[in-house]
Parts: sequence; C-alpha cells; structure tokens
Amino acid sequence: MQDFIEINFGPQHPSTHGVLRLKAKLDGEIVKEIEPVIGYLHRNAEKLCEMTFYADNLVYFDRMDYVASMLMESGYLEAAEKILNIVPPERVLWIRVIMNELSRIASHLVWAGAFGLDLGMLTPFFYCFAERDKVLEVFTEICGSRQETNYMSIGGVYQDITPGIVDHIEAFLESFPKRLEEIYKIFVGNDVFISRNKGIGVMSREVAIDYGVTGPMLRASGVNYDVRKAEPYLVYDKLNFEVPVSYKGDNLARFLVRFEEMRQSVHILKQAIRKIPDGPFFNPKAKKSMMIRLRGDGEYYARTESSKGEFGVYIVADGGVKPYRVHVRSPTFKNLSVVQELAKDQMIADMVAILGSVDLVFGEVDR
Amino acid sequence: MTADDSGQPNRGKDGRTIFNVDRDKLLEFMKGMKEKGYDHLSLITGVDRKDFIEVVYHLHAVERNEYVVVKTTTNNGVVPSVTSLWSSAKWEEREQYDLMGIKFEGHENLKRIFLPESWVGHPLRKDYDLGNVQYINMDSDGEDYATFDEGDGW
Repeated sequence: MQDFIEINFGPQHPSTHGVLRLKAKLDGEIVKEIEPVIGYLHRNAEKLCEMTFYADNLVYFDRMDYVASMLMESGYLEAAEKILNIVPPERVLWIRVIMNELSRIASHLVWAGAFGLDLGMLTPFFYCFAERDKVLEVFTEICGSRQETNYMSIGGVYQDITPGIVDHIEAFLESFPKRLEEIYKIFVGNDVFISRNKGIGVMSREVAIDYGVTGPMLRASGVNYDVRKAEPYLVYDKLNFEVPVSYKGDNLARFLVRFEEMRQSVHILKQAIRKIPDGPFFNPKAKKSMMIRLRGDGEYYARTESSKGEFGVYIVADGGVKPYRVHVRSPTFKNLSVVQELAKDQMIADMVAILGSVDLVFGEVDR
Repeated sequence: MTADDSGQPNRGKDGRTIFNVDRDKLLEFMKGMKEKGYDHLSLITGVDRKDFIEVVYHLHAVERNEYVVVKTTTNNGVVPSVTSLWSSAKWEEREQYDLMGIKFEGHENLKRIFLPESWVGHPLRKDYDLGNVQYINMDSDGEDYATFDEGDGW
C-alpha cells in the first residue's frame, strides 16, 4: 500500500491569494489529490441582498470582486434596472463601458503582479501596481474612492464625467500601452518564467466546458466565448474589438490571453472616450425614487463579462421594495473547482503556479 | 425552440426560453439536452417559494451560443443530481445544498461548501431564523459542533 503525506495549504498561505485552504495528498513532491476548502470569507451576500433595498444592494457587489468593483456594479445593474423598469440614458452606458474597461485593466494588472510573486518574481509586482494605481487615481477623481467605488447607481452614475477626467483618462491611455509592453517584456523575457509556465496546467477544451470555466481561462483553452460578443450588453456592440483566443490551454496561454485583453481594453477605451454622447448622466425617475423606494417585479438573469469570466446576476422580485431572491453566478467559484483536475499528478511547485493562473479573488468565490 | 414532450417552453422577462420539467423526468430531460449540444451547465440555483422550492438550471450550448433555462419544483427538497452529466454541477449542487437545503440525489460528495459541517439550518430558506445566533466550537477530537449559547464554549 502506498503511503501519502497529507499537508494543508493555507488558509493563511501567501500563495493562496486570500483565504483558501487546500488539503493536498502528496507522494514525495507529486500532488496526488487536492481538495480546496473554501468559505472563510463567506458572508452570504445573497441573503443580505434579500434584506436590503435595491439601490443599497450595490454595496455588497462592490465587495465581491474587490479588485474589479466597477465590473461587479454594472453586472448587478444590468439585472436590477430591468427588474425596476428603469432605462439609463445613453451617456451612462458609455461611461459604464469606460469604467468597466478601466476596471478590467486594473484587475488584470493585479493578477499579473500576484502571479509573478507566486513564481518568485518581485519586480513585475511593483511595475503592475504602479500602473494600476493610475487607474485607481481616475476612480478617486470620479467618485472619491479607490477600490470599493460605489460609483454606479440605479438609472445612472453618481457623478458626471467631466472634461478634466476625460483628459486624465486620455493621458493614461497615452502612457499605458508603452508601460504594458515593458511589463510584458519583464515576464516573457525571463527564461524561468517561461519554463515554469509552458506546458504546465494544460486544460483541454472539453474539461474547461465541463467544469463551467469561463473568461480568460476558457479562451486560453481554445473556446471563442466572450459575453461581450455572445450577448452584447451596454454598448459593446457599437465598439470594435477582438476576443483573444489561445489553443494551448496552459499557464502561459492564460497569461498571454490576459495581456492581449488589456491591449484590447485600451483599444475599446480609445474609441469609447471619443464617442461619449452629451446628455444627462442620471435617469430623473430613478433619482427621485432613491427616496421613495423602487418596486420591482418579474425575474431577470443578466450575464456580463467580468475580468474573471461570466458574471451572472439572477434576481427574483415579488413586487416589494426588496428583492425576493438574488443569486450570483461567480466565475471564480467555477474556475477554482477545475484546479482539482489540473493539479493532479503535478509537482507541488507547479500547483502553486496553476493556482496563480486562475486569478482568484475570494470575495467573489465565497460571496 | 419547439415544444418538448417533457416540458412546455415559455419565455421569461429576459427573453430566455424556459422549460418547466417535472422532477421525475428531470434527469432524462437533461440527458436529452446534453445530447442536443448543451455542454455548459452555467448555473444551478434554488428559489424558496415557501410551499415548494424551485430549482433553476441554466444551460448553454457554447458552439451555437444558445441559452435555455430549465426549471423544476420540489416539495420535499429532493431533486436528482446532474453531476453525471456535467462536472460543474459538483460544486453548484453543494452550494445549493449548503445554503438552500436542496438534497441532490445521487451526488457522491454532498456536503456543505461554505458553512461549517455542523451548521444548523440553511440560511437562504425563508423560514431561517436570523435572530438565532450560532457559535461553532471544536471538541477535543477536532470535530466541530454548533451551540446557541455564547457561554458554552471550551
């Protein structure tokens, strides 16, 4: 009979990106079986949403994927505005697209920095966070907060985008592509980085779809599926951009897909910033109703593309001022479940690399 | 989408096709859907309607980009598991068991995923008492147990 060593990874291990515990069965240095244990950050946001008014629920969504809060907000509003029958003005849709893409860049930069750290590279972390801070400066200027922005609200956004902010974003778009290529070179120019990622954690197309993996991880396994293209929301159908797909399915493919996505986000931003139409930044019906409490009816499921994958919000309303049931389809929850499959029979150091390539944010996994 | 024998489709507010399927025919219906190319089980969720629980499945055919919703109801909280068809159901069903208390028959590892194993009740149920504060303790063997009295620790 074979003897295995059982070890615990986490919940306080630095390479688990938060509070994840992995029960790993090891044969020497080979991982035979892992079992992720989650729930350390569980707050039951779904129940909290049932207890709060529609407009106030946004706060819980900010705190789900806290590195990409704008994406969470627009995901919730896609569903909530349909339930409440409030149509945001055209200008708002464009502002939301701009904020979504800025948030996506910030989120991918955090991932890239942390991924480098997992593999023992300290330098790119500082490069990534310096660039991310420029995005957060834009957020601070627009709503006064860095991470949990709470910028969007039902029927519009909290504050209009001023010419000063447009200039600020344009200046960022001017400098960022050059810096991005610099960061990219730090990663791919490093032989250790390439050899630790190439051919590691290969996920086939079938396994990815079977486990419900979405987002950059799915696209790195050769599936051209992006909700922005498959079921366009906001004004993504009026923008010209490409969906990067890789057919390798390994860690390096995930890395390359995410970097290409950042380039595409810059491309989207450059178009959107010129196209913002004039008009109100708030539906007047909603602004008044913040006081009189909106009533919703019916049920609606809206899916959006967050930086991690397909983010879905399902709201069931019963005609009251609070939702009857809210369900959140969290992309990272599914992306994490496939790690059991990928890390099997890999070296323990590679398991950390695979885990890093998933892009985990525990606010969203545990909700 | 044409009408199916086992479910009459209608459209929800979001414009998606909804199939209402009887619980006994669910597994058979899902097998048929998988053969039709719905290879991605996007989500499983439950809605507590007080006298019964509604279980909602979202299926997606990635290649054709078709999206349908399958709904079933249960009075005693038991529905057949679809883990044999889609691996993504493994965690989704555990989540719904944990928070909503739906028992998925045939799931090989149906245990709580977020809350401690000894937690009492399922929080997303409408009759869950939020005022009843629980404390999770650990006994000398390392097993956890729940108490409702804060002075009852070790």
